[in-house]
Amino acid sequence: MGQRDNLDGPILSGAGLSRTYRLGSTQVKALRGVDLEIRRGDFIAVQGPSGSGKTTLINLLGLLDRPDGGQVLLEGRPVGDLDDDALADLRRDRFGFVFQTFSLVPVLTAAENVAYPMALKGRGGSDCRQRAVDLLRLVGLEARTDVRPDLLSGGERQRVAIARAIANEPEVVLADEPTANLDSETAAGILDLMRDLNAKRRVSFVVATHDPRVVERAGRTLVLRDGRIVAGA
Amino acid sequence: MTLWALAWRNVARHRRRSLLTGGVVVFGFAAFALAGGFMAQSLEGLRDGTIRSGMGHLQVADPAEFEDGSAGTLEHALSRAADVDAVLRADPDVLEVLPRLDFVGLLTNGSRSVPFLGVGLDPLPEARTMDHAKALHKGRWLRDRSERSVILGTGLAAALSLGVDDPVTLLATTSDGTLNAVDATVAGLAQLPIKELDDRFLATSLGLASDLLAAGDRVSKLVVVLRDTAAAGAASERIRPALRARGIVAAVKVWDELAQFYSQVRVLYIGIFGFMGLILVAVVLLAVANIMLMAAAERTREIGTLRAIGTRSRFIRRMFLAEGILLALLGCAAGAVLSLLLREALNHSGIMLPPPPGATHGVPLHVRVYLAAYAAGAAAMLATLALASWFPARRAARMSIIEALAHV
Repeated sequence: MGQRDNLDGPILSGAGLSRTYRLGSTQVKALRGVDLEIRRGDFIAVQGPSGSGKTTLINLLGLLDRPDGGQVLLEGRPVGDLDDDALADLRRDRFGFVFQTFSLVPVLTAAENVAYPMALKGRGGSDCRQRAVDLLRLVGLEARTDVRPDLLSGGERQRVAIARAIANEPEVVLADEPTANLDSETAAGILDLMRDLNAKRRVSFVVATHDPRVVERAGRTLVLRDGRIVAGA
Repeated sequence: MTLWALAWRNVARHRRRSLLTGGVVVFGFAAFALAGGFMAQSLEGLRDGTIRSGMGHLQVADPAEFEDGSAGTLEHALSRAADVDAVLRADPDVLEVLPRLDFVGLLTNGSRSVPFLGVGLDPLPEARTMDHAKALHKGRWLRDRSERSVILGTGLAAALSLGVDDPVTLLATTSDGTLNAVDATVAGLAQLPIKELDDRFLATSLGLASDLLAAGDRVSKLVVVLRDTAAAGAASERIRPALRARGIVAAVKVWDELAQFYSQVRVLYIGIFGFMGLILVAVVLLAVANIMLMAAAERTREIGTLRAIGTRSRFIRRMFLAEGILLALLGCAAGAVLSLLLREALNHSGIMLPPPPGATHGVPLHVRVYLAAYAAGAAAMLATLALASWFPARRAARMSIIEALAHV
């Protein structure tokens, strides 16, 4: 699973993905048999009303959750039988995550947040630090490397989150409403940054969003409604 | 960023919570250290008091003397006492050898007689090494081993309305079964901690006791005082074969084999303090576990983030445990400082405690630095914090990532 040898096929795919949640005595079918493929360099916007299953799809594709039905395949290989540690290692090595609420580790500085996934992977301290600084420069935060998240603006935090997401050079970055908590100008900057990384580094992005600007700039748009893809599959 | 560095950052960031948790540990540790120090001091005082009350560190007697306890009859007098004395004094740890002649008899003031438990002894070395003289309530201690005077327990003296310098007569059965009597003068009155003993106690010179019992140079036993209490076991191990090598049949008992009262009090103290320690650990555990659970709950989203980006559950669990251990270490360090300060304050407070078991007078409160109590306190706090951290750590590690990320 660690080899990246399937260059022509989809990097990540979902086949018949279903997920049902229990809310009290009610069962909520968040996804109902979703199929999709993500190839290197894709920039996919996942659109749909609240409750349509966007976040559930991101969670399943990012191996944060396990489907009730169907399977997630990484470079054509199913990951459903892997244990939690193996899934954690895959998330660390092959995926990047950007969340709506930024989700930085509050006790770490910007550079330390970016270095954290590299350190988890066993990369040396000074090497981690240097690469973290380089990545922060890439996202325009070279002057804020040693600042803790609580002293950063929303846009800066999201830039740190993006730098962290690409720290281990993942094939896919999964972003859940990355511009939702940002003002228009900052959101546009974040979108430009993601688009730039997508174009220059061939990192695939799957972005769950309500934001029409993301949809406008996406290479492909999937529309979800009631747990099914109704357009763009 | 290592596990410990991350744990330290979290401890430092959540200052209020860390202070609260650390505060519980500080007081828990200090309580352990002070209570342990007080217990050690009390037991040490009781041990020294037991040894210096006349028991000595070792006792050497005929084996039958220890077995059937027929004290006072000279039936099992120590044979070759002078040879035994020489062997004992040759040992490098022996400070003094005290001959004792135990006997029973009647004390009379001319009009009334009361039974007594007597001991003949060598007054000067006894005064140097034992606490007999400290127990004197009135009068003086005996001057030499042939003096024809007695020291009486205050209860015995009261029973016969005797005071210092009053004449008395001692009646006893000699070793060959004849009734004998000697006259003596009351040199002093001693107040003994146990009333039953105080009502019967009589001490006199070895010479007078020997005359009364027609004992010649026989003694009931030899009491050995060592330079260091800790050397008692080793000294006895050396002395036994040395006696056997001289063909002497004698039993050697170490003080703790004879001091039943001390052993009982020790077990009682350990039980009481052990129970208090358990309660203390339970209180600390509940307080800290509650704080740690709250901490884990507050950091649910952060845990979700860490796990989402590839942190294994094991690391999350270790991170919480590391925070608990760090807090325990910091709390123990601060607790050690606090306990030393409190110890100084208590030791200079002049507080008097009620008489300990077997004593007649209260003693000033004194808490010593007892390293074993500090070590036990540190171990208890570390174990408690680790246990208190375990459940929130386990909960955090098992948390569903998506639920943690969605936590508000």
